[in-house]
Amino acid sequence: MKEIEFIQTLQNIFFTGEHAALATIVRTRGSTPRKAGSKMIIYPSGRIIGTVGGGCGEGEVIEKALKVINTGQPVTHEVDLTTGLLYEDGGICGGIMDVFIEPLL
Amino acid sequence: MNKQELYQELSAAITKRKHVSLVTITRAARKEMIGKRMLLFSQEEIYPETGIDRTLVLKLAELCFPFFREQITRSAVLYGKDDPITVFHEVFAPPPHLIIAGAGHVAEPVAHMAKMLRFYTTVVDDRPEFARQGRFPSSDDVRCQSFHSYFQSVPLNEFTYVLLVTRGHQFDVLSLQQLLSRNEKPAYIGMIGSRRRIAGVFEQLRTDFPDESFSHLYTPVGLDIGAETPEEIAVSIFAEILAVKNRKSGAPLSSTIRELAKTGFHERRKRKR
Repeated sequence: MKEIEFIQTLQNIFFTGEHAALATIVRTRGSTPRKAGSKMIIYPSGRIIGTVGGGCGEGEVIEKALKVINTGQPVTHEVDLTTGLLYEDGGICGGIMDVFIEPLL
Repeated sequence: MNKQELYQELSAAITKRKHVSLVTITRAARKEMIGKRMLLFSQEEIYPETGIDRTLVLKLAELCFPFFREQITRSAVLYGKDDPITVFHEVFAPPPHLIIAGAGHVAEPVAHMAKMLRFYTTVVDDRPEFARQGRFPSSDDVRCQSFHSYFQSVPLNEFTYVLLVTRGHQFDVLSLQQLLSRNEKPAYIGMIGSRRRIAGVFEQLRTDFPDESFSHLYTPVGLDIGAETPEEIAVSIFAEILAVKNRKSGAPLSSTIRELAKTGFHERRKRKR
């Protein structure tokens, strides 16, 4: 999705007052599937828009984001992709990324 | 300004193709500061969200401004007498601007590709039957205007790519002279033409612009892939534009590994493309 469309989606969430969370990769070390600035919106139902790289790492972010929606407190979550190289799903990345997760209220 | 207004400003800036970056506090001792944002348009033009005090705004702007200037998206830490604050500086660079001068056969596939590759595209031609939005449905801006007047005033910067493919070589050359006489420089000027014709053009240009290095002039245009049809020529041209934009040579990725394959892989190369 183009940047502008993503931001319009955010604006729409603010406008309608929906609850959701925004996850942004803010720092990467080593080889990661996506670079800093990649974003994903997470809805309480678990529905997502965008991606922070897919796979197990993304699963972790979704789980954290659901907590953030409940608590309302933004967090920086470290996703470590160095352990379990060659996941069963064929993940080939071996880096670490910091993901900033914030509530959209 | 609240968060909603900040996003409004941000999307307006992106639509207007302005340089803007978004700064977000991601770590801070004071929890209420986490998630606060500001927009950076220049070192002086800063739009913070309510809740960040003026001193902190200025300190963060000072920290982030070098990244803004270099167009780098990254995290940074502000150290000082208070607890450190981590921010994420995110660049929203405007899409590169491709100007296609000449709305003929080559322009059409180039304009199509430009859309796919997310360039903001202008097609300019002085013939109303060619410079029609209907012929270039995917282009952002189709202008029926003389090349001379268009190139006199169009903004040029490091995100501008100009392709000269007009119906007659003399129009290409006139446009080129106009572009070279401007103070601002585009990233790329590509001009179509045969080797022989271009040799003559260069003779003339060297006399007219003795101080010019012509380092951003690419003529004949495109990479050497034996392109003949307009579509093939468009691929050749766009491959070159992307190589310039991404600062790469345009050589096949296999070329280095092929050498190694002959001589043997003495050391394990890092897994990098």
